Amino acid sequence: MMQVALKIWRYDASTGDRALREYEVDAPEEATLLDVLDIVKDKVDGSLAYRKSCRMMICGSCGMRMDGAAVLACKTRMYDVAQSGHVPVISAMGNLPIVRDLVVDMDPFWEKFKAMKPYLQPGYERPDDGREYRVTQERMNAVKKEALCINCGCCVSECNAMESDPEFLGPQALAKGFRFVGDPRDGATVERLEQYSGEHGIWECTRCFFCNERCPKGVDPRDAIAKLGAEAVKNGIDRDMGAKHAKWFIRSTETTGWLRETELVPKTQGVVSSIKQMKFAMNLIKHNKAGLAFPPHVAANVGEARNLHKLVHEQGVLGAAGHIQGERALSKLEHGYHEGGDPYGPGSFPKPYLPEDTE
Amino acid sequence: MKRVAYYKGCLASLSAKELDTSTQALAPRVGLELVELESVTCCGAGDIHEAEPDYYLHLNARILAYAEATGSDTLLTVCNVCTLNLRQANFMLKGDDTLRARINANLEAVGVPPYSGEVEVRHLLWEIAEGDGYELLKQAAHKGLKGLKVAPFYGCQILRPSKIMGFEDPDRPWSLERIIEACGGEAIDYPAKIKCCGFPIIQAREETAMGELIQPVEQAIEAGADVMVTPCPLCHLSLDAWQQKLEASTGKKFGLPILHLAQLVGVAAGIEESELKFKRHIVDPRPALERLEV
Ligand code: SF4
Ligand code: SF4
Ligand code: SF4
Ligand code: SF4
Ligand code: FES
Repeated sequence: MMQVALKIWRYDASTGDRALREYEVDAPEEATLLDVLDIVKDKVDGSLAYRKSCRMMICGSCGMRMDGAAVLACKTRMYDVAQSGHVPVISAMGNLPIVRDLVVDMDPFWEKFKAMKPYLQPGYERPDDGREYRVTQERMNAVKKEALCINCGCCVSECNAMESDPEFLGPQALAKGFRFVGDPRDGATVERLEQYSGEHGIWECTRCFFCNERCPKGVDPRDAIAKLGAEAVKNGIDRDMGAKHAKWFIRSTETTGWLRETELVPKTQGVVSSIKQMKFAMNLIKHNKAGLAFPPHVAANVGEARNLHKLVHEQGVLGAAGHIQGERALSKLEHGYHEGGDPYGPGSFPKPYLPEDTE
Repeated sequence: MKRVAYYKGCLASLSAKELDTSTQALAPRVGLELVELESVTCCGAGDIHEAEPDYYLHLNARILAYAEATGSDTLLTVCNVCTLNLRQANFMLKGDDTLRARINANLEAVGVPPYSGEVEVRHLLWEIAEGDGYELLKQAAHKGLKGLKVAPFYGCQILRPSKIMGFEDPDRPWSLERIIEACGGEAIDYPAKIKCCGFPIIQAREETAMGELIQPVEQAIEAGADVMVTPCPLCHLSLDAWQQKLEASTGKKFGLPILHLAQLVGVAAGIEESELKFKRHIVDPRPALERLEV
């Protein structure tokens, strides 16, 4: 057995009462955070509210934050934390309204999920031999990662774009979107890409990579969003400023080699909105932040980049396929960092980032 | 001296030239000999990576190939986004012989030397946060920052995804704090130091980006920061240049000076103003530095 101490943010939405309470219990050494919460509820305080079901990382019910980072409680072993003497702070997930204690209201999550039309819209004919429609494993592998999602919300909890704009479809919904865009049997690819490219879709992702870092199932939602972006551009759905921005980058590498920044704002936003940006832009020019570079700074041998671009288009690894080709190599990597790197040691300066503690 | 291939990236080549000059001036004092790469292009940022991933991989493979051709085993970066792009491409090429063979055939077809997969991509931050670089930094920073209160701002793509970056705990990073303290400054702590500044969508979704940008600026000021330091010129651009838009939209006055990492260390190392080029900033850091007689 081991002793585990926890601080839990208790909350009651009906009264608005909020309090950080500390608990200490005995638990078996192999206990997960979920096991510890069960012990607290059984032995110390029966009013503690949290969700759980499968206890084996498959139902997606037990998403919550430990020290400000979203985790599945049933996947998080407590032994090392307890041994270190650190008392972790447990709180409800972010970006969703709290109902009570560690329970959030998942309705906004499910609404976005539903908006993606998360079901197959078959786009195939039954083969001539009268048998079932067959897809190769290789083609289904395109959506292998996205299909792993268990709808736990850990990614949504930390999404920086959603924090700023709650309307953003967000990592879970968009990853689900690619699960169908990338499915060879689905017939609504173009309609989906049009819909997902809306104001709160693909191009609102701010690439903070919190979703990839937090997802307990290796879905890598940010990568799924990149696949959607690549498919949208491949299918000519590129009216969004985000897509235009990307196309201008490509043009720059083929001409000067370096980003032609001065022209980037007009290319992305169009002339009308650029005039509004004029005052702001003039100030940048004054400080050489967006100076008109004459002659433009041109990288040596930029023709090589131009020819590579031509080759890439000839070989036709376009759209999401370009992302998927790297997955085999990237799947060999694991999240983490070099041990012993932190010269301060646990608990010393700099203080850990504990947003719930600082409120 | 450690000889490294030096990849500036677009910003340090163009709108953030002050990052290039301060890096060049600082390098020898922290034991780095920079070999400039002439024929390289932009890494494509998150944009080409997202829209045309196969082209992204070729562009970055080309940069890695030219880095390898210098004979150095390290490619030094000074931008978060370049670091993520190049490290990710590097892992793709190292970890898949078939993929590397196809990309190399294409590189050779256009006259670029093939890439063997032996280069390591490292940000300047990591070179001076530990090991020999850190020891030299402590000696070089003899002028000291004299208690200057510095807010570290990491930005996203030097921390996450940790399976590609892998240097420090993405939730409890320490490298910038350690450098600030070695320079005699005081590192202040605030939650948004590991969050996003909004730069990637600052043009396409300005309002959403501003909702992110305001967090580090406000929190750092509240925590008493004199200046902020960042290892990423894109973070620098949004924090420094778009701060005026934050002021216009909120009616508040922020005036928080933002320093590039090489500039902050440069001040402590007594590097000339002519190399640090503070006059290129929108929010002038000089008053804050002069006030403290740094
Ligand atoms: S990378 Fe995009 S989707 Fe993922 S958490 Fe950040 S903003 Fe949200
Ligand atoms: S993508 Fe990952 S973190 Fe997000 S809901 Fe699905 S399983 Fe959970
Ligand atoms: S990330 Fe940016 S600054 Fe760095 S090279 Fe690429 S485009 Fe340029
Ligand atoms: S913090 Fe800002 S510029 Fe920096 S990596 Fe995130 S988005 Fe990029
Ligand atoms: S209880 Fe089902 S995922 Fe944790």
